Amino acid sequence: MVFLGGQVLPGNVGRAILGPFADQRAVDALNHTLGVDRPLLTQYATWIWNFVQGDMGTSYIFRSPVAPFVIGALGNSMKLAAVAFVLVVPIGILGGVIAALNLNRPLDRIISLGGLSVTVLPEFVTGIILILIFGVWLRWLPISAAWPKDAGFFTQLYYLILPSLPLFLVLFGYIARMARSGMIEALDSDYTRTAVLKGLPWRTVIWRHVLRNALLPTITVIATQTGYLIGGLVVIETLFRYQGIGSLIFTAARGKDFPMLESGILTIGIVYAVATLIADFLYSVLNPRIRLGSD
Amino acid sequence: MKNYRILDLIRRNRSPLENHLIDGLVDGRVSRRDFIRHGSLLGLSLPLLGGITTAAGFGGMPSLARAAGAAGATIRVASSVPAAAIDPVTIADAGGLLVMQQVAEFLCVDGPDLVLQPALAESWKPNDTGTVWTFKLRKGVKFHSGGEMKADDVVASIDRLADPANSSNALSVFTGILQKGASKKVDDYTVEFHLDAPNGNFPYMLSSDNYNAVIIPASYKGDYEKSFDGTGPFKIEKYTAKVGASFVRNDDYWGPKALPDRTEFTFFTDVQPMILALQGGQVDIINQMPVLSGVALLNDPSVDIISLKSSAHQQLHMRCDDGPLKDARVRRAIALCLDRDKLAAGLMKGRSALGNDSPFAAVYPSTDTSIPQRKQDIAQAKQLMEAAGVAQGFKVTLTTERYLEIPEYAQLIQNWVKEIGVELELNILDQGGYYGDAVFGKSNWLDSVMGITDYGHRGVPNVYLAAPLKSDGTWNAAHFKNKDYDTLAASYIGALDLEAQKADAGKIQKLLLEETPVIFGYFYDYLTATAKGVAGVQPTAMSQLFLEKASKA
Repeated sequence: MVFLGGQVLPGNVGRAILGPFADQRAVDALNHTLGVDRPLLTQYATWIWNFVQGDMGTSYIFRSPVAPFVIGALGNSMKLAAVAFVLVVPIGILGGVIAALNLNRPLDRIISLGGLSVTVLPEFVTGIILILIFGVWLRWLPISAAWPKDAGFFTQLYYLILPSLPLFLVLFGYIARMARSGMIEALDSDYTRTAVLKGLPWRTVIWRHVLRNALLPTITVIATQTGYLIGGLVVIETLFRYQGIGSLIFTAARGKDFPMLESGILTIGIVYAVATLIADFLYSVLNPRIRLGSD
Repeated sequence: MKNYRILDLIRRNRSPLENHLIDGLVDGRVSRRDFIRHGSLLGLSLPLLGGITTAAGFGGMPSLARAAGAAGATIRVASSVPAAAIDPVTIADAGGLLVMQQVAEFLCVDGPDLVLQPALAESWKPNDTGTVWTFKLRKGVKFHSGGEMKADDVVASIDRLADPANSSNALSVFTGILQKGASKKVDDYTVEFHLDAPNGNFPYMLSSDNYNAVIIPASYKGDYEKSFDGTGPFKIEKYTAKVGASFVRNDDYWGPKALPDRTEFTFFTDVQPMILALQGGQVDIINQMPVLSGVALLNDPSVDIISLKSSAHQQLHMRCDDGPLKDARVRRAIALCLDRDKLAAGLMKGRSALGNDSPFAAVYPSTDTSIPQRKQDIAQAKQLMEAAGVAQGFKVTLTTERYLEIPEYAQLIQNWVKEIGVELELNILDQGGYYGDAVFGKSNWLDSVMGITDYGHRGVPNVYLAAPLKSDGTWNAAHFKNKDYDTLAASYIGALDLEAQKADAGKIQKLLLEETPVIFGYFYDYLTATAKGVAGVQPTAMSQLFLEKASKA
């Protein structure tokens, strides 16, 4: 689909590389060198045959193997996603739990409305505001996420704080809302009432009975956000000059660099599938009723 | 006070063409500024030009030497991401050519004032007809890989670009001018270029004006990113695609050694993060800053703006072969709707020069400045519409690209032409969609009824005169076919003499004002932003950045 979709876009690879003002003979020569003047079926079959053998092909634009670009960009995206997750998942869940336990009180309203407000703000707005505050005015944090070469773990972490904050703001409200509604439902359920009537301590009721059930939909939401955090961060990556897979795919699409584009999208597809699988696994851990083989 | 004795001495060893130029200066027909620019084109050295202007009573050349700053700095530059693999033959984008230009050099450099300055060539001169140009090369220039740069390397570098089989991005510059095999070695330090036709501005085609024309070893077989070989004042330290590049001083450089120890180039995909990086102190220079995106920096006291007058512009073409725009009176009427003063002052924040509907920008010495400037005149525009039989107006689509200030420019035009009843529907596309395959029949750019296209700076107007306006021009989006124009353009391109060029330019300017196939509303300045305390930075309007004299306070 990606390959076919790309073919209907105007222009061709040679033209994208040499620019609109290049001589047509030069464009034709470059297209021939790159092999993009071959029949579409041949191009696609060659790429897919190489891919299943572990060869992602050679980038038309960079004239070098695609795999290091995709693997490097995926690694970067996963680092950023990991930092964002580590920040937003516990805080989001905690926010939702606190809101539910303080239902309809001021704290609930602050968390719910505050979360909703920051969630609807686009990343480029919050990103620029955060850069202006922490990068330009206070100069506490680097405004570019590209860390120096040979940077260690903590240096990399330092560079990832600022770009992960807009992601935190986007996801916080979403996760907190899901956690809140799950908690409200669980608190209102028969098994919670039974546990309370049995005289179990409130803390035990919350940890053993409420949270375990309340977090099931939240986990599903977190899993679906994984794909976004890995592959959909073009705006953040552009703003913070981060070499993630989102910007890699965007660049490849603009340049009609099909080996790069197809490999990047397929890689994100695999990440989605793995994230969903992990979510299913966690779901089954938390909910014994859906474990495989159980009655 | 003219010193005729010295002038006569100088005249003795000069060609008739050079003496004619000197006479023009002495008689007042050629200004001092135009004399220096055109003299540099003919290959007269800058010291000689200074001597002539002094003897003619105009004072010497302004000193090009800068107060040298402290050595040893690391200069950090924000640049756009190279759009493709860096290769001198194919490279076409500002980010890529900026990286390449740090290590590789040209035969001559089109400086910020359009004066050609010697680099790898020490001098050059044409034959009497302008069909053969002879370049004398500098001796003792070494490539980073070790060998000496000689005529074989120059011939191979230029031949590689003129060969249609090589995917050369410079082929469009050389087509009709220089073919493969027409660059000939005379001896190790002399190269002759045998042109297809007379060309009075040829040295610009081998200068930094033609960004592919860097000189690299004759043995080059591709994979430039593996060697980054060249003769420049900096050598590559590290290059990472999509991320950045760093360079260190070349201690074997043929000229004065570079002041900075290192330079670092950080690649950005958008200008806003560049601006924030400059404000946040993470870079020292933004190589090119579009005026609208960079408004915040224009009055920032912690930032200096280097502003170069250029011939870069946004061409508004109108199809001359179909529909209501076929009538030149209608095209003139539309051109008369534009308030160019407002464009220059408002849209471009005072960082541009007025256009007069021809490629002859004020920066060119050949531009005939006696041609009256076209100004907004709605009453005359309405009269023209009435005379053309379209007083009630018409609807037409303006197709263009989402790039720089073009969408805002299109909206201003849309508002202005309403006054004469023209209803302009805007069709603003991304750049890929606008240019398409860039051939007639497969391109919104070349097939649209009206369109606005971005054209970068050129040190001479040859390319603008030929490709978008000649009857057989490959970028003739206006579909303008006019034999008189073709003759005049060929005559201008072939003329060696500044006054002959000026005479042709005046005729072309008048013809284009009459026909108006293309509207040139303004020529925008090339802006480079530097942090306060950074000195000695020399950009060109071709996106090059010379940092060998750069320093930090």
